[in-house]
Amino acid sequence: MAVINVTDGSSCILAIGNTAVNGAIGGVDALEIPFINDITVNASTGVTRYKVLNSASEKAFTTPSTNQITLNCLVDEAVFFGNAGGTTNKVTNDGLFGASNDKTEVHFELSFEGSTAGDKTISGVGYISGLAPTVSMEQAVWQTPVTIECDGNLTAGTI
Amino acid sequence: MSKRTDLISKITTNLSAYTAFTVSSEMPFISGGIPLYEKNMKTIYVGEQNIGVGELYDTLDGQVINETTTNINAYLSVDAKEQLTNIDTVIAQILLARNGIANTVTSTSEYDTDIVNDVITYTFEFNFTTV
Repeated sequence: MAVINVTDGSSCILAIGNTAVNGAIGGVDALEIPFINDITVNASTGVTRYKVLNSASEKAFTTPSTNQITLNCLVDEAVFFGNAGGTTNKVTNDGLFGASNDKTEVHFELSFEGSTAGDKTISGVGYISGLAPTVSMEQAVWQTPVTIECDGNLTAGTI
Repeated sequence: MSKRTDLISKITTNLSAYTAFTVSSEMPFISGGIPLYEKNMKTIYVGEQNIGVGELYDTLDGQVINETTTNINAYLSVDAKEQLTNIDTVIAQILLARNGIANTVTSTSEYDTDIVNDVITYTFEFNFTTV
């Protein structure tokens, strides 16, 4: 039993791509998002509550999850606008903005522990949303929130 | 160019209409026990820049975006007995020199005064932040 510490700067990795292969950490054409400030995995189920005559407390069951990956990152020119590098990964070529604009389905893999075999991951499929790049003279570097709205289940796995 | 060089250049430009004043590129060192700006009144001396680097953004992939703060003092001494009629505008022009420094996200300037015998010394403090 141990907590997962990310202070080494190489533990938390998010890779995305237009296919499962391109969206896998360590994949040749995987787009690994740099400069992430914070990231949150939302796997919140809905809840339906109901009352019965033979119980003093409400009963409940959970309903399907709303799954999301939300993060804030600094805007990297190539990652946000695409590098048109002719890779097999359309998300790399189009960038986050292009993938959001085109409503491209993206496959993603988020590692909690790094890129070594056996490190724990969560993966899934979804769509990029929630881009809102902002900058000011007080915070003079472009940064943006990014949301991956998941289409279906999140899957726990390993590298 | 360094911020100090840029600042000297900008002060020189701003004071070009005030021919009684000059801007020196020398450091305001002490000569014979007297600072140069007191020895050469109506000459502006710009001190060495002091630089501090801090962390603006830290990221989960270990990359750091730094913020650099540069602090520079400048000095001007004039006769305290007979104040120059245009000293207010001269001071204003020196303070405004902060606006001409390129690639800064914030810049501030202020001054304070000190009178010793019949000499009033204006000490200007400029602060520039770059990313």
